[in-house]
Amino acid sequence: MTEARRLSLILAVALAALAAIFAGPYVLDTYSVNVLTRSLLYAAVALTVDLLWGFLGVLTFGQSVFFACGAYAAGLVFTHMDFSPSNALLALGLGVGGALLVAAIVGWLAFWHGASALYASVITLVLPIVATQLLYSGGTFTGSSSGLSGFMSFDLSMEAWFWLSGSFLVAVTTLAYIFVKSDAGRLLVAVRENEQRCKYLGLDTSRLKILVFLACAAIGAIAGYIYAGYAMVVAPELAGFVFGTELVIWTALGGRGTLLGPVFGALIVDYESAQLAGDYPFVWQLIIGTLFVLVIVAFPRGLLPVVFDAPRKLLGLLRPRAATPAASVTLSTLDPADTQGVEPGEGPALAVADVVKRFGSLTVLEGIDFEARAGELVSLVGPNGAGKTTLMRCIADGAERSAGSIMVNGYDIGRKPPEACVALGVGRKFQMANVFETLTVAQCLQIARVRHARPSLWRRAADLKLPEAAMHVLATTGLDRQLSTPAHLLSHGMKQALELSMVLALEPRVLLLDEPTAGLTKTERMQIGAILIELARKQGLCVLLVEHDLDFVREISSRVIVLHQGRIVLDGSVEDVVASELVKQVYAGSGHAGIAHETAPSAPKEMPA
Amino acid sequence: MIAQSLDIVTTAAILYAVATGLLLVFGVMKIINFAHGGLMTLGGYAALVTTQAGLNPWLAIPIAALFGGVAGMAIERFVVRPLYSRPLDAILATWGLSIIIGQLITLAFGRGVQFTQSPLNGTLDLFGESYSAYRLALVGIAAVLGLALTALLQGTRLGLETRAVIMNEDLARGLGINSGLVRFLTFTLGSALAGVAGALITPLSSVDPSMGVPWLVNAFMLVLVSGASLLSLLFACVVLGGAQVLVATHFSPVLGGLTIAVLAAIILRVRPKGFARD
Amino acid sequence: MSVLAVDNLSSGYAGAVVLREVSLALAPGEILAVLGKNGMGKSTLLKSVMGFLPKMAGTVAIAGSEATRLSPHRVARLGVGYVAQEKALFQDMSVEENLRLAVRRPDFEAALAEVEASFPFLLQRLKQRAGTLSGGEQKMLLMARSLATGAKLLLIDEITEGLQPSVIDRLAGVIRSARERHGTTMLLVEQHLPFALAVADRWAVLDRGEIAETGASTEPDARMRVLRHLSV
Repeated sequence: MTEARRLSLILAVALAALAAIFAGPYVLDTYSVNVLTRSLLYAAVALTVDLLWGFLGVLTFGQSVFFACGAYAAGLVFTHMDFSPSNALLALGLGVGGALLVAAIVGWLAFWHGASALYASVITLVLPIVATQLLYSGGTFTGSSSGLSGFMSFDLSMEAWFWLSGSFLVAVTTLAYIFVKSDAGRLLVAVRENEQRCKYLGLDTSRLKILVFLACAAIGAIAGYIYAGYAMVVAPELAGFVFGTELVIWTALGGRGTLLGPVFGALIVDYESAQLAGDYPFVWQLIIGTLFVLVIVAFPRGLLPVVFDAPRKLLGLLRPRAATPAASVTLSTLDPADTQGVEPGEGPALAVADVVKRFGSLTVLEGIDFEARAGELVSLVGPNGAGKTTLMRCIADGAERSAGSIMVNGYDIGRKPPEACVALGVGRKFQMANVFETLTVAQCLQIARVRHARPSLWRRAADLKLPEAAMHVLATTGLDRQLSTPAHLLSHGMKQALELSMVLALEPRVLLLDEPTAGLTKTERMQIGAILIELARKQGLCVLLVEHDLDFVREISSRVIVLHQGRIVLDGSVEDVVASELVKQVYAGSGHAGIAHETAPSAPKEMPA
Repeated sequence: MIAQSLDIVTTAAILYAVATGLLLVFGVMKIINFAHGGLMTLGGYAALVTTQAGLNPWLAIPIAALFGGVAGMAIERFVVRPLYSRPLDAILATWGLSIIIGQLITLAFGRGVQFTQSPLNGTLDLFGESYSAYRLALVGIAAVLGLALTALLQGTRLGLETRAVIMNEDLARGLGINSGLVRFLTFTLGSALAGVAGALITPLSSVDPSMGVPWLVNAFMLVLVSGASLLSLLFACVVLGGAQVLVATHFSPVLGGLTIAVLAAIILRVRPKGFARD
Repeated sequence: MSVLAVDNLSSGYAGAVVLREVSLALAPGEILAVLGKNGMGKSTLLKSVMGFLPKMAGTVAIAGSEATRLSPHRVARLGVGYVAQEKALFQDMSVEENLRLAVRRPDFEAALAEVEASFPFLLQRLKQRAGTLSGGEQKMLLMARSLATGAKLLLIDEITEGLQPSVIDRLAGVIRSARERHGTTMLLVEQHLPFALAVADRWAVLDRGEIAETGASTEPDARMRVLRHLSV
């Protein structure tokens, strides 16, 4: 399907939804129209919960506050300043502005570098509690516990309010749908799946979270503004924790990460609540609570996917699906003139000076001092616990080391976070293959290029330009023929190769590889070895690799650094290391007195080849 | 001055009694039990039933513990156990349980506010100040709870195994400790403590189907700043509870109600470990 | 009957096979040293036997009881003592608490007698926090703890790592004397070749998850044969 056809299809569905909204007042009774107007606005807020929780992975209990922001802005302005068109605009501006301000403060608190998911949720939980208490304490200004009512508002018929709310919901849902399916929207899923990898691909994930949070706050505020205009009453419960959690319940029931699920979840549950609240209020709440627990435990994806999967599975039985989906993206090599990697600065590609790392009283690295030039392939070897991975971490994240300095391309990394180190030219490949499991090969690569090629907010790019080095890895391993395969279906070796190409797509100058051959077959090891040699020699990369497989080290490195108990014990050529008695002792345990002579052979009778 | 100091001490004691059960569950299972509020409500109604039946009001405490504990067993077995690997979902599911408990109680007892008989009435003269006898008694009860829990954790085989699971679950399992059983017992005990807390707070206020919810968030924030230590919880209750009393008396009661949550959020932002030791 | 019988065991992490079709059997009182370079699957073997890692294929039996699918605490209760390479002590607990946690038999005095026989200095340190012991003392506590449980089978992962020669000699002495007194069967994962050959009856080299070579420690060329697999 072409991009134009895909977008037209979405717009066609949106138009059909608008037509349904238009028809609503003509087929529904007055009571239903009245209730559904509110439900439509609630659904728009539930949609923001889904964007944050279902896509970005931030469980939020505080979206009610942004809704109340918009509602109270209208209520306050219309109560204290009278209703007029200019005041109406002012109220909208205040509502959205206030919501953005609150969201910015919450975002700063909740999404700083290194904040846990639980902490972010806690902050969104505190938010509605603070907000309701402030509204309670506002005296006659906010109307305290009874809220504000009896203010003038837009003179619209009930049908018009229904159309307005419905059109707003359709518009927001359509835009959100286009966004989450776009190249930029895929970043949300990438952050949810593997925030660490995103940071090490140079993405400022905290900033991304705050931006999405701000957008969601604005949507919530507009919905609240419309609500106040139509209901002509605002109450502190709108900002409350209970409403905030109800939004989460609707989202979970409908299906997180589906957009339409939460919308329908909110519409159906809120509408039914109003219908049944009169007769069986507590039983209804009980049913919803029970259903919610059941869904969380047994159907974490929500009910919409359950409803949709059943017929799809039945169809699948009749009509087997095509074996492999056709590639949706074509690859091409980036013109070397367009490469955007960091200009090589003065001096060595990597200069590590007197680096120390302590965990509490334990010193893991001490006095680490070395330099590596472009084109060099340096292996870090040493027994377990020698500090090899810790050293890699110190080079890729400025906040890691306890003392000393690290220069990359002539720039001091200072205390910079990983994404800023990437901007200086560091590329880090992790020990365990670290890719985005649910995304396809092509999508993983696209995310690795986001730093250089700004993704579209509404389209999906059909071609992907990659630097020569990344293309080379893809072609050598055959990954370029599996672009549409989801990463979790790849073999272990292919995942390693994919992660390597993702890191190379960053156009790094200094490549950090942590055990790139762990768990690979012999053929795969040889392939990776040849690629690394090529990268160092032809592309002029400075490669630093941690490796246990000493045969592999011997084949590829130009230089070996031996770490033992946090110190460099030897820095020299492969021959130096092979010849060194010290290194033998480090590896085989020292042949000291006591134990040694009991079993040591008197004289070696046969020398191994 | 003396009245205020007594306010701070008694407030800290109440908070401590409310938060210990939550802390125990968080320490062992690394999940936040949002059903804690619902279980407190359950304890409150257990106290109501006890006093309405004409029994000694002090009996409300063991009866509430029994109600909470039995409910906790069922919750651990059927809801929490399948969610060990999804901690955020465990928060949601236990919140759903809180709703279920609240609605079941509403169906049984109605929505209205009810009052229980206090086991201790009147005031006590202390340092020339006459002060609510029951609030003072709560300090003693909280101290007994804290000491009993400490004795359990420090002095028994089960306590030793529980601490082992808190510190390093894999290591404990490798030494032959059934960590699943430890989790089950911990959750049961934590739920029983929630019930007790519900019974303890009812004479101070009233009983209604959502009485536990306002306490939940404060308890939850106190636990987050305390890590998994009963001692740092005591410290957090005194510091944050004290701040709450001071803000409420000198500024406004509404701001006082927010003090714990806001201060805890800021403390965690500055120092993610909170009051826990390094 | 073998105290430990591993048959065609494959295991690993998240789709990566680290251990491939490994088979081995330990007779009562036998000590086997598993050697090999880093990353060749030695620790994975122990974790998999204990039930910490799912087994992809193969079976494990302990003293004749089927143990392939047991969870770690059940394996431990079959009489298996496991000493992990890292974080094997409760650092914030006292020496005594660390001992009590592992010792399931009712007579703790008998367990203390066993500690006295191996590392008597620990009896003076019972109240000391384990995390404040020196690195060597911690390893001695680990050794004492696993012997005090009265386990029939010990799985010990690189206990010599980072230790001074004198401590290593002491550990070797304790292991040999424990075997003489109680007939304890042991599977040692080691990098320290002299230590391994001194205490073990047999050795096996793991290379890329497979057993590459085995032999008896008493054979005169044992050291050279193992070194061939370890050397740079």
